[in-house]
Formats: sequence, structure tokens, C-alpha cells
Amino acid sequence: MSGVVIGAASYLGPEGWANDRMGRRAWPSELRPAIERGELEGIHWSMVSASDPSRFARMDPMCRLGLMAVEVLQLGWDQMPEAQRESVGVCLETCVGSLDTDLRFLQTTRPSLFAYTLPSTVIGEVCIRYRLKGPVLCVMHAPDEPGAAVREVAEWIKAGEAEAGICLACEALDRSTADSAGAAAGLGPVGGRAAALWLARATGDSRGRAWTAGSVIPVARRLCFGEELAC
Amino acid sequence: MGDPVETPAQSIEVTVAGCGAITALGRGVPSLDRVLRGADSGLRPAEFRTGPGPATVRLVAGPVSADALGHEPGDAREDLGDRAFRMALIAAGEASVNAGEALSRISCERQGLVVSTTKAGIEALERLVWREAVDAAEVARIQPGGLTRDLARALRVGGPVQCVSAACISGLLALRQGMAMIQRGDADAVHVVGIDVISAFVVTGFASLKSMDPEGCRPFDRARVGLSLGEGAGAMVLARARGGEGEPSESGVRVTGWGSSNDANHLTGPSRDGSGLALAIGRALAKAGKRPAEVDCVHAHGTGTPYNDAMEALAIRTVFGDSPPPVGSSKGALGHTLGAAGVLESIICVRALEEAVLPGTPRLREADSQAPTSMVFEPRPEPGLRTVVKVNSGFGGTNAAMVFERGRA
Repeated sequence: MSGVVIGAASYLGPEGWANDRMGRRAWPSELRPAIERGELEGIHWSMVSASDPSRFARMDPMCRLGLMAVEVLQLGWDQMPEAQRESVGVCLETCVGSLDTDLRFLQTTRPSLFAYTLPSTVIGEVCIRYRLKGPVLCVMHAPDEPGAAVREVAEWIKAGEAEAGICLACEALDRSTADSAGAAAGLGPVGGRAAALWLARATGDSRGRAWTAGSVIPVARRLCFGEELAC
Repeated sequence: MGDPVETPAQSIEVTVAGCGAITALGRGVPSLDRVLRGADSGLRPAEFRTGPGPATVRLVAGPVSADALGHEPGDAREDLGDRAFRMALIAAGEASVNAGEALSRISCERQGLVVSTTKAGIEALERLVWREAVDAAEVARIQPGGLTRDLARALRVGGPVQCVSAACISGLLALRQGMAMIQRGDADAVHVVGIDVISAFVVTGFASLKSMDPEGCRPFDRARVGLSLGEGAGAMVLARARGGEGEPSESGVRVTGWGSSNDANHLTGPSRDGSGLALAIGRALAKAGKRPAEVDCVHAHGTGTPYNDAMEALAIRTVFGDSPPPVGSSKGALGHTLGAAGVLESIICVRALEEAVLPGTPRLREADSQAPTSMVFEPRPEPGLRTVVKVNSGFGGTNAAMVFERGRA
């Protein structure tokens, strides 16, 4: 599938955050173990970007991480015409999905949480912030299975269904929330991680790597932390 | 089968080989056909749990009966075990049987599975949190990935599997993914199964949004005030049309176009101008190579909420102008089956094409002044019915459309 390249990558996880054009940025020291436990309250938008979105405070941890991953791509949205945004698609892959918020909603029945009990809500938040109207897809997979977003977005571009697309992966599960459903349940990996890849059609002067397979988080992590991708 | 990769994806035709269903109308596709025979509705008052205690709430909704699930008619819902998985097996089993020879000639390794759901495993999660007895197998199916794995095993699917969870457009996106698996050469047949259940979680959530009609939903009606929850499973076996003798017959139904979009507007409310849904319909028509004037029927999302139906009416006007094709909605019969809706309502479209009948709009009495002028109240024969567009919209501002056609291209 020639002609589709990864134009940008971003990663946020316990080890820190970065995009593929900057060095690794560390969280404040106390945050790393918290993120490993999936306690994400300490992560704020201002740690990665200015112009705090007004909706950020009301989002659940999954949406916060996902939106931050797209922001960290630093795509220069101000220069992107509205018409072009109509053909930018978003595909999410996740194995934990909205489980963390599902459990919180079951325990509190807070109405404001209900909209966040769908994994695809993070796609809605991304599309609202960046005014994207292209094709959408949310695929859930088992922990031992690869994600599908990279291939799907590459196929959209190849088929002319999108000019470009964001492959997003987002996993947010708080250990204490998971334990509330029974520690032995093993419903998903605990912790907080998100990553995004910007896929676009290759042009004569485009930089980027031809890469149309694999799961978003490991691919983005390698690109962002300067590790070589194994073919 | 030759090397499928060598065939351009768009030239590979995908047909509907078989369908299966279980809904508030009963078990089996013939029960769903009642939507094509009259303004029949499965909506009825029923009691639903809202939490760990004995408290229940009475709603007009579309529950699947214990009888349809193979239990005694009087058995309580909470005693029926993993209802979602049971429904999925019933619908998928029927679709496989109905697919018959078209499926039996394809090896397990060339069969795929796409599951569509929003909250199929939620009842087991409720029981875990409420410290009630729950079977280990049900716990393993709480997350959609586990449900998909178990369903693949039960169906003996050895090819690609995927689970789509994208709110109320999940079903149409799952059909699109099934179609893509075939057109990309990853499979020759794909089982697409949509499932969702009415749970305490779902009841509490929609009650908190104040989006339910206490009298039962009335899509596109002047007096509509909200939706009705429904549950069930729909299954469709999609198959790669064979060259020569295997080409779709005159009565065969093909999936020929799809499109999706985001409103980029609001998380729980539709865009007020319908532009996002119009984009999705336009993309689906372009993919199918159809002009709006060639569409014979639009099967709407039609939830019965004031904003959704008004938005859809605007989108239909945007795409089709002041003389739209006939428009119908099935949610007055089934309720809103969430992640199963796209598959179940697509089965109604397929059956409508096979029977040459325009589906009606159960529970619609007096059309809203803003509703499409071509609303179909009661089903009626339409011998020229060849192209149906199915649309769904959902939370997160998502929209999807799919084109079904009868006969040869």
C-alpha cells in the first residue's frame, strides 16, 4: 500500500510524553507511578499545550488522554482550511474502552458521566475540538490482539474516503476503579496510555515513514522516543 | 477462489447471503417481517431494574421475551443468564442457516466476524459491582473483545475478527467493516452481529438524559417527546459474490455504498442543520455511484426524540431536495436497540427489497410539519423498489449511511 505515510506521531504514557519531532518530556516525578496505576487526575492540559479547551475539565480520563495525544501531534491546525478538515477521518483502537467510566457511572449514576460511557466519545471530543468531519470508526480489541486503526486509516486514504486521518489509541483504567469490580476480574490492563499517528497521502516533498500496519501505541512510542521500528 | 488481492477492491461485489434476528417482535426474521406487513409494534410496558436493590422502573420499551430466548415465558429477566450472548448466538445461527450453500462452500479460515455493540456485557459488570452471582464466562465477555472471541469460537470463524463500538452507528460501521474484509481479500464471507440489551445501566443513563417517551416513541410524529429503549440481536452474513454463476440473482441484495461523518458539534445532541448526516449520505451515494434521484427509500434512524428527527428531516432535504423518496423508521416497532440498531434495521431494508415493500413507520400518527413530506405511515407494496439508503446517527456526533440494492448492477 504505497503512497500513505505517517506524517506525525505522539505518545503519552508513564514514561513521559513526546511527539516525533521533540525529545522526551518527563512528567513531574510523582506522576509516573500515578499514571502507571491509572490515576490521571494529576495530568492537566497545560502540561502539553496552551489554550485550555473549555470542555477539558468535564471529560473523563480516556477523553482527556486521547485529546492530549492529538494535541501533542502539533499539526498546525490553524493553517488547515475548513474544507480540508471535512476529509480528515478519526479511527480509535482500544482494549479497555470506557470501562473506567462505566464503573464510575455504575457506582455514582452521575448523569454527566453517561456520555463518556462509550469508547467512541473520545472521537467526538477530537472532532469537536479540531472541527473534523471525515469518516469515523472505533474498534475494540482484546489485550492480546493488535489494533486496527493504522490499517483502517491507510485504507480510507487509499480508497479516497479521506485525505488524511488520525489513528488514535487510548487506554485509561484506574486500579482502584478496577478493584471495585473485583480484583480478580482482570477486565483490562491498568494504567494510562494514549498515542496518535497522523496518516496522509505521500506527496513529492512529504516527509514521513511509509507504515500501514501495527498497533498505534507501540508504533508511536518508538517514533517518539527515537527507537527504530522493526519491520 | 483465486488470489482476491489481485481484484480491485471496488469491483468485488458483496451480497447479503443470510439474516437472523431476535427482537421485541420475536425470534427469527419472519417476526421482523411484521414491520413489513403492518404497523405492528413490540413496544409494551415492562419493569426494569435500576440498581442493586429490588427497585424497578416501568417503561414502555422493546424487551426480548423469555419465550423468544428459549426460556419459560414467566422467567424473570435476571434469571436468564447472559442474555446478550444468547441473543447473539440465536441471530447468528439463524443467519448462518439462511446463508446455506453460500456459506457452506467457504472454509472457516475464509470466514470473518464483526461484532457491533455498545454495552452487550454490561449486565455482568452490574452484577460484579453489586456483588451478585455472576458466571466466569460472563465476566470474560464483559469487554467486547471477549464477547467477540467467544462468538467467533461458537461460529467456528477462523478468519479476521473485529468489534466495532461506535455508539448508535456501530451496526452500520460493522456492516461496512464486514464489507471491507471481503473487498480487501481478507475473507470471502463475514458474519456481522449486532447486540445490545436493556440493562439498569442503560435505563439509568437514558433516564438521566430525560430522553425517553413515557408513552413509547413516536418517530417523526408531531407529539413525539423521546425514544424507547429496545434490545435484541441482528445478524447478517455478507459474502463475496462469485463470478459467473455466483453473481447476485435478480432478487439478491447487494451492499453497494457506505459513508460516515462526524458533526464536530455536540456530544449528545445532533447538529441542528443536519449537515453531518447529509455528508454521510452523500458519501454513501458517491460510493454506490448513485444520484439522489435513484434512491427509492430512506430508512431513517428515527428515534422519536425531537432533535434527532428534526435533524434527519433537514439532512434528507439537503440531499434529496423538496421531493424526497419515501421515508420510514422501525423504532416504533423495535425500540432503539443501540449497537444492534444498524444491523437489525438493515435487515428490514434487505427484506423490504426482497419483498418489494416499503417499510412503514409504526406508531406514527400525525407527521410533524418539519418531517419529510414523504413519510410512509403504513407499509405498502412497491414493485420498483431497488435502492434503499439506511442511516443512523449517534452520540459523539457520529453519522453513517449505507446503500442496499436489489438485482444486478
